Amino acid sequence: MGQAATATPFGPTSAARRRAISAWTDRHFKWLMVAPASLLILVFSIYPMLFSLWVAFVNYDFQIPGHDFVGLQNFQQVIDDPLAWSSLGVTIALSVAVVAIEFVLGLALPRPLVETNRRRGLVMSILIIPLFISPVIVGQSWALFLQRPFGPADYLLSQLFNRPVAISWIGEVPWVYVSIVLADVWQWTPFMFVILLAGLAAIPPHIYEAAELDGVGAFQTFRYVTAPQLAPVMLLAITLRLLDAVKLFDVIFMLTGGGPGTATYTTSFYLYQIGFQQFHLSIATAGSWLFLILLSVVIIALVRRLLRAEEA
Amino acid sequence: MAASARRGSPLWALTISFFVLFVLAPLYWVVITSIKPSSDYLTTPPVWFPAKPTIVHYTAALFSYRGLQGLTNSLVIASAATVLSTVMGTMMAYSLARFQTGGRHLALWVISQRFLPPVAVVLPIFLLFRSWGLYDTRIGLILAYAFMTLPLSVWMMYAYFRQLPKSLEEAALVDGLSRWQAFWMVATPLAAPGVAAAAVFVFIAVWTEFFFALILTSRYAFTLPTIFRAFLGFQGMQYGEASALATVSLAPSIVLGMLVQRHLVRGLTLGALRG
Repeated sequence: MGQAATATPFGPTSAARRRAISAWTDRHFKWLMVAPASLLILVFSIYPMLFSLWVAFVNYDFQIPGHDFVGLQNFQQVIDDPLAWSSLGVTIALSVAVVAIEFVLGLALPRPLVETNRRRGLVMSILIIPLFISPVIVGQSWALFLQRPFGPADYLLSQLFNRPVAISWIGEVPWVYVSIVLADVWQWTPFMFVILLAGLAAIPPHIYEAAELDGVGAFQTFRYVTAPQLAPVMLLAITLRLLDAVKLFDVIFMLTGGGPGTATYTTSFYLYQIGFQQFHLSIATAGSWLFLILLSVVIIALVRRLLRAEEA
Repeated sequence: MAASARRGSPLWALTISFFVLFVLAPLYWVVITSIKPSSDYLTTPPVWFPAKPTIVHYTAALFSYRGLQGLTNSLVIASAATVLSTVMGTMMAYSLARFQTGGRHLALWVISQRFLPPVAVVLPIFLLFRSWGLYDTRIGLILAYAFMTLPLSVWMMYAYFRQLPKSLEEAALVDGLSRWQAFWMVATPLAAPGVAAAAVFVFIAVWTEFFFALILTSRYAFTLPTIFRAFLGFQGMQYGEASALATVSLAPSIVLGMLVQRHLVRGLTLGALRG
């Protein structure tokens, strides 16, 4: 057998071997197909997360050689930092605000679009543009638009109210939140809008016809017909959006830089500052684990929900 | 129905026109600023359209701010990451859809990656990249982005394969094709529109990504979005350069986005809704 293989390397033996390989790949096909992607996730997620778990419990510093075990000290540092708490507060307040506004707008805008197809093409194409723009550019554009004193926003407002308006959109506390919400609503309302529109279009029209025959009013139609039918889609849109909203970083980075002072520090921005500006890598890692644990409750609920949508 | 009365209602037309204006206003301002001569920036009232448009900011942005290098990096990195992610994602999705590989757990594990906060993932990746020699390299960023977009490509293709009938692949197996051939020569061509859509979504996601690139690159492998750091805290005369760069960066992804408009709902919900 071994002799035959050496004697005829390209003969029937190699064909047999090829057949054997092919049979082997067929047998393990489903696992071979998931292997490359799984490997990549292992290398880029599982391994780094395990590594970071270790980093969170030691003193990891580029200057100091050796990594001393410090127990929960890094976690304690984050918990004791008032800025960690205020940035968490800002993150929660901003995400709830933007998701609520985007949801209401996203629900209000598409209603007539479900029915009319006439202007739908062009209007749709314009409305979804923000989804394809880098959040960095969104921040940059709004910084330019709201810029004081020569940006168009203040000018337009002063024309509208017929008196000089000089709002410091980025430098003063209530307005800076308005600016962030504005930029986020600008970018992500189309997200809600597109998903809710799909949900609305899927509601069978005969239900509405029945409601109309019974003389049900517009509000009650929404309350008793649209809302229950749309509930799963609404839930999906809100959770998906909320999970991205809590990561808010890019717009903060470009528009406010966390300022004025630390008024617009979000959790992501706070952890970035700790880790990559002050290079307290272990503290930032510990903080990001705490953040992840907080989020995982929502993440698990959403993943369950997505899986149920698949089964349906 | 109630909405039929509202179909052509002026209130709705007003609302939608207002919203369309709201969407277009900052974009218009960016594009206009990119072609304004510097003397038109600091004026009251603002210049809505420059009397003498100029392209000087584009050349400055591309050459003085290394926009060209960023553009090249972005193109190379986004293309390579798209190919990697789409190929691996399609393979995995096929296996998940046809053989329920790993039960529900594997699919769940993949999608949960999508919701990890980037800051939690990128910190350890940054440390590991430094020891692996992948920090500030195109290869490093390509792999990181392929990983980042896998949940998107896997789940979009998962939803797609599930609605494709199995019968053709079964016929191919009966005809003596191997499993791989049935996948590669029968299923994939049938799923081509889905693969194309997934690839475009992956490309846009990578093209517009900022955070990973900010942390994992510095002087060499930086992408287009990270160049905007250079304009931070600007008070001076760099509006034109920043706007020119923004225009260069947003044009391709908007064009691509329009191409996959039909698949948008699937892309946004990772295949959970068909739209």
